[in-house]
Amino acid sequence: MGAENMNRNETMSKKVRNLLLAMLVQVPAVVLADPTGQALAFTCAGCHGTDGSSVGPSSPSIAAMDPEVFIDAMQAYKRDERNSTIMNRIAKGYRDEQIKGMAWYFAKQKMAPAPQAFDPKLAEAGAKLHEKYCEKCHEKGGRPGDAGTLAGQWMPYLNFTMEDFMSGHRDYPRKMKRKVDAAVEAGGDEALRALLHYYASKQ
Amino acid sequence: MNKINRRDFIRLAVGTTLAGGTLGFPGLLLAASPKVVVVGGGVGGCTAAKYLRKLDPRIEVTLIETKNAYTSCFMSNEVLSGDRTLASITFDYEGLKRHGVKIVIDRVSAIDPVNRQVATEGGERFGYDACVVSPGVDFKWEAIEGYDVEVAEEIPHAWFAGPQTSLLRRQIESMPEGGTVAIVAPPDPFKCPPGPYERASQIAMYCKHHKPRAKILILDPKEAFSKQGLFRQGWTQLYGFGTDNSMIEWIGGAGGGKVESLDPSTRTLQAEVEAFKADVINIIPPQKAGKVAFTSDLVDGDWCPVNKMTFESSRHPNVYVLGDASNAAKMPKSAYAANTQAKVAAAAIIARFNGQDPGDPTFTNTCYSILGEEHGISVAAVYALDKGTNTIEPVKESGGLSPMDASPAQRKREVTYAHSWFQNLISDMMG
Amino acid sequence: MSNSLSRHLAWLFMSALLLICIAPAQSTEGGVGMVLGERIPEGFDPETGKRIISNERCLTCHGDEAVKTDVRDDGRKVKIFVHSKQIQASVHGEQECTSCHATIDRVPHREAPQVIVGCIECHKETWDKHKDDPDGKHERLKVVNEQADNFMQSIHAQPSKQDQSRTNATCYDCHEAHNIGELGSIQRKEKRLKNPEVCGRCHEKQLADYRTSDHGKAVLEKGDSKSAVCSDCHTTHAIDAPETDKAKLAITKNCGDCHKDAQRTYFASYHGQVHRLGYTNTAKCHDCHGSHKIKGPKDPTSEIHANNRLENCRVCHKEANENFLTFWPHGDANDGEKYPGLWTFKIFMQILIFSVMAFFWVHVVLWLYREVKDRMEDKGFIEDLDHPDVVYFRRFPAVWRWIHGLFAIATMTLILTGTTLLFSHTGWAKAVVVFLGGTEMEGIIHRTAAVIWLGIFLAHLFIAVGNIWRKRDTFKWFGSTSMLPNMKDMRDLRDMFKWFLGRGPRPEFSQWTYWQKFDYWAPFWGATIIGTSGLLLFVPEATAIILPGWMFNIATLVHAEEALLAAIFLNSVHFFNVHFRPERFPMSTTIFTGKIPIEEFKHDHRLEYERLVESGELEKHLVRRPSRRADLAASFITTVLIMTGLALLSLVLIGLMTSPS
Repeated sequence: MGAENMNRNETMSKKVRNLLLAMLVQVPAVVLADPTGQALAFTCAGCHGTDGSSVGPSSPSIAAMDPEVFIDAMQAYKRDERNSTIMNRIAKGYRDEQIKGMAWYFAKQKMAPAPQAFDPKLAEAGAKLHEKYCEKCHEKGGRPGDAGTLAGQWMPYLNFTMEDFMSGHRDYPRKMKRKVDAAVEAGGDEALRALLHYYASKQ
Repeated sequence: MNKINRRDFIRLAVGTTLAGGTLGFPGLLLAASPKVVVVGGGVGGCTAAKYLRKLDPRIEVTLIETKNAYTSCFMSNEVLSGDRTLASITFDYEGLKRHGVKIVIDRVSAIDPVNRQVATEGGERFGYDACVVSPGVDFKWEAIEGYDVEVAEEIPHAWFAGPQTSLLRRQIESMPEGGTVAIVAPPDPFKCPPGPYERASQIAMYCKHHKPRAKILILDPKEAFSKQGLFRQGWTQLYGFGTDNSMIEWIGGAGGGKVESLDPSTRTLQAEVEAFKADVINIIPPQKAGKVAFTSDLVDGDWCPVNKMTFESSRHPNVYVLGDASNAAKMPKSAYAANTQAKVAAAAIIARFNGQDPGDPTFTNTCYSILGEEHGISVAAVYALDKGTNTIEPVKESGGLSPMDASPAQRKREVTYAHSWFQNLISDMMG
Repeated sequence: MSNSLSRHLAWLFMSALLLICIAPAQSTEGGVGMVLGERIPEGFDPETGKRIISNERCLTCHGDEAVKTDVRDDGRKVKIFVHSKQIQASVHGEQECTSCHATIDRVPHREAPQVIVGCIECHKETWDKHKDDPDGKHERLKVVNEQADNFMQSIHAQPSKQDQSRTNATCYDCHEAHNIGELGSIQRKEKRLKNPEVCGRCHEKQLADYRTSDHGKAVLEKGDSKSAVCSDCHTTHAIDAPETDKAKLAITKNCGDCHKDAQRTYFASYHGQVHRLGYTNTAKCHDCHGSHKIKGPKDPTSEIHANNRLENCRVCHKEANENFLTFWPHGDANDGEKYPGLWTFKIFMQILIFSVMAFFWVHVVLWLYREVKDRMEDKGFIEDLDHPDVVYFRRFPAVWRWIHGLFAIATMTLILTGTTLLFSHTGWAKAVVVFLGGTEMEGIIHRTAAVIWLGIFLAHLFIAVGNIWRKRDTFKWFGSTSMLPNMKDMRDLRDMFKWFLGRGPRPEFSQWTYWQKFDYWAPFWGATIIGTSGLLLFVPEATAIILPGWMFNIATLVHAEEALLAAIFLNSVHFFNVHFRPERFPMSTTIFTGKIPIEEFKHDHRLEYERLVESGELEKHLVRRPSRRADLAASFITTVLIMTGLALLSLVLIGLMTSPS
């Protein structure tokens, strides 16, 4: 055990060492400057779960979230450009670099997929729809990426999101409406549910 | 191979500490496991215990709590409406144990900050390098004449979730149709500021279906209360507030809402101007810091003063007071506040063990109130410390209440958010 | 054991903790920071924190064969398909899409992306980084960067007149960015054949014209990659507007890359010489052959078809008549089969030059040898310092002195302006022509000098004939003062060679030595040849009224060759005979003062001296030594002329030695 850990130490490059030494010298100044990204991110846990893996169906998991998508979302909330119930009020409390710090903290976390029930048959239908209409943007079955996180995300949350898109409360990202319309045309009324069950099935 | 060896590292670490001007705990640098004792198994205590272990699995954390299960006060109003059972808000400490927190069921009699020991009524002593105290609130029983611990067995306060909550629920259920429920709201500061009003809403929600002619009377010594506008709007929409047939009536301080005494035998409340007789009475007495804060000399007045950078007691070093018992102005006494304070304290304790200065603290508060089945409202705030005044200030332009003009769909959505919030908060503190 | 374990753990824990505390602070400063044990988010560079967009990610959309186009929000269709295998096989096969498409930072794109690609910086940086690599793998980048520099100076890199925010053309307008092959690759071969169509995307009319040309047919119809494509003539990168001199010169020069003989013979012509001097006010390839529609002479639509050619001549030679058609624009004096007349003239002129120069240079060398040897033995004509020259012999009257002076100046002017054309390949010629103010100005100067030269020649003839006429009663055609060669000259020549070789005494001469007579009569020959050919070339349109066009070819040839002979002879042999042989060195000023020291006269013209003494006529010819100022003036003029002559000789020799043919 000890030896194994020491091995990990030994893999530390010179660069890391130098960084570490530099940091050590600077610690008081750096730490006092601002709450760290981690400290800021900790305060989100009450709604988004510890380290961003939500266990509440209405609030999305933000662990492993693409940091730029996170920043985009927070900035949009901050500027009241994205409809929200509460996030717009919260986002206004953070400066740009603080948002960036949180973004990177969450990006580095492993996302625990939402533990939720799904209909395997619907999920199967959803998989096909996803492959055809969604995969190009929401790559790898909707895993966290530059188009957000779908795989393992809470269905109720995704449902709210789609409601917002379809009711016009939230602007579709570029080209998404076309694809959603096409998926609905191909998959009928069940299309969106099927997709959500597919994402829920990724556990 | 280039690497820094342990000796270099320690030399540097110590050097940095000295350079930083704080000697801190250089001895701890070599100690295998610093000890932290957490007093109180509520939101503050549990969160601190979990995050201490999460940030530094080397720390030995012992949590001392009187009960072997935790029943959350938040969401307990839903028990009153019958929307949930008491069991659904009761949680054991197995989650914390999985994080390596040692759970001791006992009552702390006092903390000895000089010898750094915690003594329990069970006769045990726990030495600590840092002690986290999160005892919550206690009542000022003397404030309302005729109301005491014994009377509370008949006329519940239901302000600590558990048997009291069940008792109040039973009394409301057995109340005759057309009866009156009187809620005596406490003066500021008290824990869960929107709590009494959400409680009125939840009771109304129950009565609307089962006793539509019932009245809920809130006797309040204050002139205003948390989320007042939103509550009034919700009550108007749901319970006819403002009309002659209003199910809920609120009598504020100016209207003689301050209750001075209780006659338990006649279930009569004597307020400043007139007396009120009610079928069910719920008295929420004025509050102060939990008992152990007083026995351990951590209070100044009713509450415990702290350095808001770290939540370390201003009265004794190495003791950190969190949550409702602390004077964390301008943060409210809420679960979410305690949760974020606990993380600040945990990080500060670890920084201290490492001979470092603590990082800047950051806090948030998010609080939902459910007024009806499809009517939720919230308040949110992001806080930063003003180091100059040792005051936790809301960040400008941020936070605030749900908008008054929110759509019904949004109000409905906030109910589900409230439930998600509850699950995540519980999970974050002890899951 | 357990103690050391716990110590190791303690150390590990501390470092982890520190890093946890530090990392986010780092990340707020723009980087992810180097975080041990922390999960670096997939798709981000741990060093810079920048998003890594893999080629695979791009190709999920851009590599989908089923969806090769996309529709923009405004309904516009855009091609989005990228042939990934083609890229992989190209020189950029190992590049990331985002290395070039550097503005693409999000996938899916948040806004409709624009193609913003900068090629130059990357190629420069890569070359700077790898130029000293021993493997030489990046050697080609040197050329790429040179071409990039050329492009930046070209018309293509200038702001478009329709939209100043963009250039007329940029790298990827011509280079199929995703399909750039290595040297010798199939892509490059294909690329060459596609070149006209690539250029034609903008230059539509030119492409249409080109299609009809011999070049165009070979390339576009037969796939002959050896025939000319646009870039062969216009260059690939240093492309200038065709109206500019630079472009015209480059294009004409580039024709020669394939048509080597045509270019060689063109450069031998007056047209080519002017071109080679850097001037475009002359016939260039495309002036006669046409540019994009270029065809062989048999095609009736060709510009060089017999029926169409005269029109081209008339662009410059407005009065050109049918005789112009018999001019050989590419006449090759070396090609005896095709141009026997020209060839014959050339051979004749070259034999003449060679024999004259060979004979006289041997004469010069031997003479030098003899005088040097004599001097070393204290023999020969040595100045007597105790009795300096005070008595002079009057040798030339003022009129001859003036005529010789002007004649020398005119000749030198003609040599300078003429050889500038003849040696247009040299650097000095280009400098001289610039100094003189261009080829047109040079033409004017040359013609002016020619008129003066001929005028002097004729004036001299007139005076000489007049003199003879006046003395017709006493004039002895073969007398001692006559310029006419006689048998004694032949004997003198023989005896001089004997003397040179030490086999006899130095012969004694009369009034005119044989070399002086040669110097006198040679210009008669020269004037005839140069003058006649020069007159033919003076006004070509006028000449063509009576003479066929090929006369220009012959006139140009003999004019140049004879002039060359004169230039070399005068500035070497004549200078030696008069000025540089040790007895005279450094110079004789007699031709300007008209006087020769009596001792020198005695030495070189003893027979005449003795005859004059005998006949008692000597006194008539004796004069006082020139005044000090007249002596200085004569020395000055002589010096200038000698120096000029030597300079010209140098230029001519440089020109001859560096001559490409």
